[in-house]
Amino acid sequence: MKVIAAYSIKGGVGKTSTAVNLAYLAAQSGYRTLVWDLDPQGASSYYFRVKPKIKGGSKELIAGERELDGLIKATDFENLDLLPADFSFRNLDLVLDTRKKPTQRLKKLLQPLSDSYDFIFLDCPPNISLLSEAIFETSDILLSPIIPTTLSLRTLEQLKTFIKENKLKDLKLIPFFSMADRRKKMHREIMETLSEKHPDILQTAIPYASDIERMGLERMPLGGYTNKSRSTEAYQALWQEILATIN
Amino acid sequence: MTALPLHFELPEHMAAEKFLSKLGKKIDFQIASEQYATKTFYDSFDWRLYSAGILCELNQSKSASHISLIDRNTGKCLALENQQEVPSFSNQFQDGRLKTQLDPILEMRALLPLCQLPYQIFHINVLNKDQKTTVRIKLEAYENLGSRISLQPLKGYEKAVARVSQLLEKSLALVPTQSSILNSALKLQGRKAQDYSSKLVIKLDPELRADRASKVIYRALLKSIKINEAGTIADIDTEFLHDYRVAIRRTRAGLSQIKNVFPDSIVTQYASFFAWLGQITSATRDLDVYLLNYQQYKAALPKSLQEDITPLYTFLKQKQKQAQTELATHLKNPNYIKQLLAWEQFLKEPLPEKGCSNAANLTIKELADQRIWKVYKRLIKEANEITEDSPAESLHDLRKTCKKLRYLMEFFQSLYPADEIKALIKALKGFQSVLGDFQDYEVQENSLKKFSAEMMANKVESNTFLAMGVLVQYLDSMRNAARHDFAKQYKLFKQEENRIVFKSLFAPQIEVKKS
Ligand SMILES: Nc1ncnc2c1ncn2[C@@H]1O[C@H](COP(=O)(O)OP(=O)(O)OP(=O)(O)O)[C@@H](O)[C@H]1O
Ligand SMILES: [Mg+2]
Repeated sequence: MKVIAAYSIKGGVGKTSTAVNLAYLAAQSGYRTLVWDLDPQGASSYYFRVKPKIKGGSKELIAGERELDGLIKATDFENLDLLPADFSFRNLDLVLDTRKKPTQRLKKLLQPLSDSYDFIFLDCPPNISLLSEAIFETSDILLSPIIPTTLSLRTLEQLKTFIKENKLKDLKLIPFFSMADRRKKMHREIMETLSEKHPDILQTAIPYASDIERMGLERMPLGGYTNKSRSTEAYQALWQEILATIN
Repeated sequence: MTALPLHFELPEHMAAEKFLSKLGKKIDFQIASEQYATKTFYDSFDWRLYSAGILCELNQSKSASHISLIDRNTGKCLALENQQEVPSFSNQFQDGRLKTQLDPILEMRALLPLCQLPYQIFHINVLNKDQKTTVRIKLEAYENLGSRISLQPLKGYEKAVARVSQLLEKSLALVPTQSSILNSALKLQGRKAQDYSSKLVIKLDPELRADRASKVIYRALLKSIKINEAGTIADIDTEFLHDYRVAIRRTRAGLSQIKNVFPDSIVTQYASFFAWLGQITSATRDLDVYLLNYQQYKAALPKSLQEDITPLYTFLKQKQKQAQTELATHLKNPNYIKQLLAWEQFLKEPLPEKGCSNAANLTIKELADQRIWKVYKRLIKEANEITEDSPAESLHDLRKTCKKLRYLMEFFQSLYPADEIKALIKALKGFQSVLGDFQDYEVQENSLKKFSAEMMANKVESNTFLAMGVLVQYLDSMRNAARHDFAKQYKLFKQEENRIVFKSLFAPQIEVKKS
């Protein structure tokens, strides 16, 4: 079982789109896959048409009173399940803080699922908080979308410093460009300089595209309503690149 | 709480469309796909998958073709792979769940098609108000066999599937079903599942006159001979010939061991016919056994020699093919067919009012008691005489006696309390197997020596002979191990507990004096 967190300090960068679409591709190629919607806004639950509600809310969940397995919902896609969000997740930080080893909590909760899934995608809320630290401890990969803007360099470096300072040796950070618009000169230039400075940024960039934006209307992963487009190919290439770094 | 019904039959004259329109009045659904397809069921000749609670199907449509293994009781899919056709043997499957599940069950047996069913399949998604699928329904409409509904529950939507199941049973009055469409298809062919087993099952009435009962036994054996004949000729897998030969051997044992129930002339005539059959089929079977053992042979070699043994495989394969061709020719010969028919005719004929001898006029129970007790005593006597230094021949003779006893006990199994006779047969089998090993390893050793002489002519690499030498040594050590094991196995067999049961089942009754 590999845990992949779609994470960024910033909001609206494409975390949810990444988690949902990559999970879909993983499931399509036969991997038993789970998406855990950790964001109280419940965007990925919405995309899979599942109510963003779990019995007992964040309190019982974090206390370990409910087994994760009993909260999981099958999506409409083969091999792809969802652990829905709940509005109470907005208090996850506070609830975690009442525990002894708060940053170990998620890892412990996911442990019993290790035989049932090949990949678990975490759709994370933006921010850096106690929850993010718990996410870092649980994840094998921190997949971080970057919109090519001037601010993004600083954000990436902040994240790298944090990982270093907290000695998260087992965590592999994989940054990639998201919502990239090659028609914009600024995007192209930033992508160039950033890639030079940070060669660990993946080759594949997810383009800014209207068919990706349409996910909110269709309420399903891109592959569910688009057969083949520049966007589907970009996600496919991204997934292959990630698989290659894992192996 | 009883398990939720997930499989239903549609009433005979309800077409798929009618069902869908009825369903549409009750719930919101969407037809995800609608296709014409063909379903072919596969199993080994001896129903190994069915007996293990598994169905193997190949489903073919225009757009897809896949093999799946289904749990016969729950209808759950155990493994699924996209494949165009079903390979004959489990080791020809690509590595994966299908292969790992099939291999230990099928072993050397071939998969054969049982029946092919054209059908129309609808994949239906039951939707909630968010248009999210909560239950999947599969509707399969078969030609001549009606239609079937299966519900596929989705994780986290247990209430929804319970609701749909209720709806089908209560509101639409569908009948839940446990039995697979395979059973209905077989019925239409006039067949039944598990209509062949290599185990001998003969039910005898203990009061039946011995000669009549003997005919019942021979008829069961003849049935086995005939049913395995075509597969033997076509060489579908090794077990057709194996079961064919077992039936021949049992018939021969019957003719020699169920003594004096038929006129001597009959016994001599057919004893020699069946001896001939045993002889013309033996070369092929021996080669089959070497080929079946091949992986074990290979594994017994040091790693560095394992590839060098390959020419032996090629050699055996070629020899087997030759022997098989000869065997097939014999079994297609009119003379063979004529003799077998004559035997069948003899078995069908009614017997004279009075049997041909005293033995023939006994009840079968009396005769069975006598014969088994006599051969058992002989076995004990022969086995007791064996020491550490006894020559191989005495063990070989003992093995023959064991076989005779075993066949007699199997013929007459139904005349004795099932638990007790089963336990004795099992004990005998264990003992017999050490004697069998001892002899088989010796035969294999000698054959290998003979093969290497023949292979000399084929320009085979010296390392191959080296490997075969190592193999001979391995077989020799196995044979010695079997020889050493003899005393222990015999002790196990003749233990008090078994002796008492043998005596109580078969020994002549002696009046017990009451004190
Ligand atoms: N490649 C893209 N092209 C165009 N629109 C996109 C693309 N990726 C995401 N979007 C749109 O941008 C918005 C934000 O994307 P998304 O929800 O994936 O980001 P996020 O990082 O998860 O946001 P949040 O921080 O709010 O959880 C959504 O409306 C989405 O449809
Ligand atoms: Mg999001």
